[in-house]
Amino acid sequence: MPRNSELVGRGFVVLSYVVLSTLPFVYAMARLQMVTGQTPLEALVNFPEAYGAIDALRFTLLEASASAFLTVLFGFPIAWCLGRYQWKHATMLRAVFSVPFVMPAIVVAMGFLLLIDQQSLLYKTGLDLRTETGVIGAYAQRTGWSHPGHFLALIIAHAWFNLSLMIRFVEPTVARLDPAWEEQMSLLGQGQSTFGRLRHLWWPVLGPAVLCAASLSFLFSFTSFALVKWLTPFNHTLESLMASYGGSAGIADYRVDTSEIVMSASIVQFLILLSALYLTSTLQRRHSSRFALVSEHGAQASRGPPTFKAKVTVYAGFVFALAPMVAASTASFRIRNKTDTGTTYTWGIEAWNAAWAGNLSTLNVAEALANSMVFALGTLIIALPVGWILASTIHALEISNHHRLAKALDVATLLPLAISAIMVGLGVLLGVLKNMPSLFQWSLLPILPHVILTVPFVVRIMLPAMRSVDPKWKEQASVLGLSPLRTWYHGYFSFIRGPAVVASSLTLAFSLGEFGASWLLVRTGSWDTLSVLVDTLMSRPKFDPLVQPTAMAAATVLMLLTFFLFILAERFRAEGEGGGF
Amino acid sequence: MKIRLMLLTFLVLAAPLSGCIESASTEENCTVLPAGHEDDGTLRILTYDISALSDEMLEDFTTETGIPVEMIRVDDAGGILDQMMLTKEAQQADLMIGLDNTYLPTAIDNCLLQPHETSQENITSAAAAFYDGPLAVPFDQGDVCLNFDEDALAEANMSIPTHLNELTEEPWKGKIAFPSPVSSSPGRAFLAATMEYFSLESDGDAMSWWGDMIGNDAIITTGWTEAYETHYTGGYGEYTEGHIGDAWMTVSYCHSPGVEAFYSGNSTHSTSLMIDHASFHQVEYTGIINGAAQINGARLFIEYLLTPEVNGNMPENNLMYSVLEGYDLPETDGYRYHADVPSVVTVMDYEQIQANMDQWLEEWKAATQQA
Repeated sequence: MPRNSELVGRGFVVLSYVVLSTLPFVYAMARLQMVTGQTPLEALVNFPEAYGAIDALRFTLLEASASAFLTVLFGFPIAWCLGRYQWKHATMLRAVFSVPFVMPAIVVAMGFLLLIDQQSLLYKTGLDLRTETGVIGAYAQRTGWSHPGHFLALIIAHAWFNLSLMIRFVEPTVARLDPAWEEQMSLLGQGQSTFGRLRHLWWPVLGPAVLCAASLSFLFSFTSFALVKWLTPFNHTLESLMASYGGSAGIADYRVDTSEIVMSASIVQFLILLSALYLTSTLQRRHSSRFALVSEHGAQASRGPPTFKAKVTVYAGFVFALAPMVAASTASFRIRNKTDTGTTYTWGIEAWNAAWAGNLSTLNVAEALANSMVFALGTLIIALPVGWILASTIHALEISNHHRLAKALDVATLLPLAISAIMVGLGVLLGVLKNMPSLFQWSLLPILPHVILTVPFVVRIMLPAMRSVDPKWKEQASVLGLSPLRTWYHGYFSFIRGPAVVASSLTLAFSLGEFGASWLLVRTGSWDTLSVLVDTLMSRPKFDPLVQPTAMAAATVLMLLTFFLFILAERFRAEGEGGGF
Repeated sequence: MKIRLMLLTFLVLAAPLSGCIESASTEENCTVLPAGHEDDGTLRILTYDISALSDEMLEDFTTETGIPVEMIRVDDAGGILDQMMLTKEAQQADLMIGLDNTYLPTAIDNCLLQPHETSQENITSAAAAFYDGPLAVPFDQGDVCLNFDEDALAEANMSIPTHLNELTEEPWKGKIAFPSPVSSSPGRAFLAATMEYFSLESDGDAMSWWGDMIGNDAIITTGWTEAYETHYTGGYGEYTEGHIGDAWMTVSYCHSPGVEAFYSGNSTHSTSLMIDHASFHQVEYTGIINGAAQINGARLFIEYLLTPEVNGNMPENNLMYSVLEGYDLPETDGYRYHADVPSVVTVMDYEQIQANMDQWLEEWKAATQQA
């Protein structure tokens, strides 16, 4: 039975988080309502009339659905093979598959552009996804579908980005399923065919995890912005539409049209994403119960070394995961050299020197790296306990049979993911301006949006882990006469240490890669993070041949740092501990 | 049901708050506002990513004056105006650098700038013509016009257009990229040029021309970067990742071919389309924000920005012309040689932009959406 002070403390944290994460949306919506003179309902009804909105919605739904499907198609075989066999370098493999998820989208976009440009291997095989000649061009002409190559490039990039979702959700379940189940199933009539085993064993066990990963992939592809901007320049998602016109939204007597676009689009986006999040939350709960059922039998997968097919699948995935990152890093050493006799490329470290000296930006790489680390650590210090408290509160409500309240809080923790970054930026700006303008001069302000955006992931990781801890373990530990702290450590924490480490590394990596919210909220150059530095460099006119390689040098530093963090996290996570999001 | 309940809760929460936020002032006479932020001795500059404001230059200023500088960056000139409008009640910066003449009237109308005394003696008449009042000072300039790929035209055996109407014809189908005037300042400048261009013709109608351009599959991009870098075949974009290269013509500056040559060992196959009135003289301004805290620092920085050492180097540092008398583009690597100078450029006065820009944008959106 929790003490009163604990209940008050927990209530305070929960309430603060819910208010902090929803108030910006309320502020932004109120301002847009005032500027446009429309109620939210009217804005929803007027959505089809907003400039470019219908086209954007159609494209967003199409690309998000296709991306989710492709994520499952690419990710499931890798997760299956990774979980089913014993791999020599499992830690490293898991880290490689996890890194894409936290890469700044602009770096990913550049990596993919390098992989599909006219010097690429893909282009030489006749698959021209960028200028759409050859097969792709012929297909476009025959079907009348404009720019199928761009669409394909986008959904492949989204699948790459979300690969780790599939692996994190599915791999632990596959790894922990008792082989005896499969053997028993194959003895039964229903399990003698592959389809039968799929239907009666694998789908019930893995289905919720796959659908959960797919719905989160849908969500992240739906809100995609930088990848859309660079890979499909002829199309807008709702998010990129809002980003294009959102800068002037919310200002009275000025550009009412942009406020109308942002208001209508953000409401439609909010409603769709809320539905996706509700589905995710439901599926995750079902996944947790299946997962617990599986782990009750406690079998660690030990099917020996991987088969040839498994090796091909996992190593192909490994190459796929690394390719855009390697391409981006390589580009940091490649310098364009144009003269009146033609254009050549030379290899050198000039861009690295420029990045280190800060010749093309306000800050140099080392300063931006220091800022990134400060914000990331600050975010971790706040987001981890807040996420922990939220997850344990939801879990406590669940076990005390307050299911409705638990579900409401569960969905509420996901709200920041349903709200457009434009709305968060506008709302925080208005909120801070109204209540405490001096906060703008506080150099740690970017931590606030980082916390808002990372807490949902901490909750998503910790909640299933907490659900799977058997209360009896704690009871048993307390019987041993240990101190309360040691009882908690041995009877509870040691079982969720893995997920806690994963949540920490993910929080750090997310904060390092976070770009949108800090860019919208705080634009003071001396606080620039590495991801903002990369974007600033990439946005500059590139007449000077050093600009792009310098941006790629900064991106490489960011990639290496993120990769290092994941390797570190995987070392702390014991084999088979799970820790999916 | 639960989702509906949650939405309703939001709507209920949102409704009362809307009344708390005051509407923007519509007063004609502006008053100097108190500082919107605390003066901690640092000069805060609101700007887009102007290359001229290098780290080295900022350090020199700090060494000379003892005033540290902090940059608050936005995407472009439009972003500067948006930011000042949004933070009108508590401005977070002291000095703005980068509003151009298509945005300046809106900033002045909304009392976003405060008067200051800075000598404008050595500034060229072209830079001073649009506005020479006490609220803003020009710091760089250039002419926005159409650039085209000479090689692409030669290969297709096409002649150089002499009238904008030729661009609506079949050979140009899908071959021109325009940055949208709704979200790009060069896009706005070119929209203004077309308004002037077609107003001089007896049966000219700029909006029907824009409609025809959309009908001819013109590519509309969010900003200059996408149009020039991703789509245009004549610029540096062809050497960058993601280049599509489907546009033989785009909107840029008349001196952009010079910049191309400067960074490419005196070689370029891009040039400017020299049609009278089809270009727009753009001037970029700096000014002290109404609500600034570090006014003295802002004034000193404006003076610093106009020193020959800094402003004279605008072509190399910011890829724009200096506003000072006696300074031209450098001749190094064909910079000046390849930079085109239009014989008759559209020069609009303050009142024209002030009275018409919003309406032009609305008409442009209607014309392009209908098409």
